[in-house]
Amino acid sequence: MTAQASPTGLEAAFLENRERLLRFLAARGAGEDAEDVLQEIWLKITARRTGPVASPLSYLFRTADLLLIDRYRARRQADRRDRAWSDVHSGATPGVSDAPSADRQLASRQLALLVQKLLDDLEPPRVGEVFRRHRIDGLTQRQIAEEFGVSLSTVESDLRRAYKALASLREQLDEV
Amino acid sequence: MQHDDPILDQAAEWAVRVGDPGFADWDAFTDWLEQDPAHAEAYDRVAAAVADAAEAEAQRDVVLPANDEAPAAQPVMRRWMSAAVAAAVLMVVAVGLWWGDQGVQTYETAPGETRLIALDDGSTIDLAADSRIALDPDRPRLATLEKGRALFTIVHDDSNPFVLDVGADRVVDAGTVFEVRLGRKALAVGVSEGLVIFNPAGQNVRVEPGQLLESPLGSSEVSVHSIALEQVGEWREGRITFERISIAELADELTSMSGLTFRAAAASAGDEVSGSVLIAPIRADPASLGPLLGLSVRPQGDGWLIEAR
Repeated sequence: MTAQASPTGLEAAFLENRERLLRFLAARGAGEDAEDVLQEIWLKITARRTGPVASPLSYLFRTADLLLIDRYRARRQADRRDRAWSDVHSGATPGVSDAPSADRQLASRQLALLVQKLLDDLEPPRVGEVFRRHRIDGLTQRQIAEEFGVSLSTVESDLRRAYKALASLREQLDEV
Repeated sequence: MQHDDPILDQAAEWAVRVGDPGFADWDAFTDWLEQDPAHAEAYDRVAAAVADAAEAEAQRDVVLPANDEAPAAQPVMRRWMSAAVAAAVLMVVAVGLWWGDQGVQTYETAPGETRLIALDDGSTIDLAADSRIALDPDRPRLATLEKGRALFTIVHDDSNPFVLDVGADRVVDAGTVFEVRLGRKALAVGVSEGLVIFNPAGQNVRVEPGQLLESPLGSSEVSVHSIALEQVGEWREGRITFERISIAELADELTSMSGLTFRAAAASAGDEVSGSVLIAPIRADPASLGPLLGLSVRPQGDGWLIEAR
């Protein structure tokens, strides 16, 4: 990886589309974080740790979208940790205990098993496989359609089904 | 959760569309988001649930069977757990049974990568970046840290304590969350909960929560001092804290944690630094480390050179 001095397509795209990105961030619910996120994107592209990208504008929007998803996940994670913490500390004896506060690690393993079961149980079985090929193996929806010999809209509808089921699972777990 | 939630349906549809690498219609997506603040909220919910699930699925491959017997007691019957979650815990035991014997397994992480290893008894091992640990499914209460560092969250069993070998040293748990780091020059054991016994057959030192034991490699010398509890395992949150380590050690540590290459300038490799830094911003902008620590950090070859100012 070499550092080069010429401005990249990404930087130019960023400067040209700053307002559009801000509008997107506002609509996306970034609120006061919008400028922050914008700066994070700028840092990311100016550090030149990214290779050339085919569509700079899409790359910028995608980066913004993913940063917001990450922030949302971090907030939810912190909420869950707070609840687990108060749970452990109500009535537990401090010092040596025979049940370490491994809630977080346990919770992540339990989630893994519940997700596995949910994906295995979706009907038809293709739905879970399509989800895995897309989200774990990183195939595009078109590639998956070819692999499974189904239409692109079938792949999309399979993914929608899996996404909604996973959102319900997450909701159930958070309500407990 | 309601069955017919049109906003959730739309959010799922957008999450599917946006999730494809070829997606380009960001204006239409922005328009939909602008229609109602509830749209962004629903989209976040779906996108986060899917990201959590994908991460959990990817991690599932490291679930490790380590025990042929069902454990006597599960430490997981917490009030917040639903029956479904409890059922899932039982599945872990079942997974363990299918695997059978396969000898010692070595888990290794690349720089910048971490891994969670779940043991059958509910214990977990968080393996830090650039680290290696060996586990033997036939001896589930014994592990060997061969390189780097790991955080152990161990379900205690008085009759069968968890034992960790690190080089010539041995660490025995007594109900514990603890971290072990095999550094270039020293072994460090930090405890955040419970109790750890260092070399019961030798120095036999008790390490309590909020203490850090350090022992130079190849020596029986041991020192114990206090650390902040939140420092134990803090690398999982992407942070490292160091006190009076050499710039060479700092460069090693940053290389492991970030996946980028850092080197110490020969003239200042031995200079000592102290500080606490978050890794993600440094990965994004390595030069930002300079002002933070009062050092000079600049690109050199395929990496970054750290030098005293």
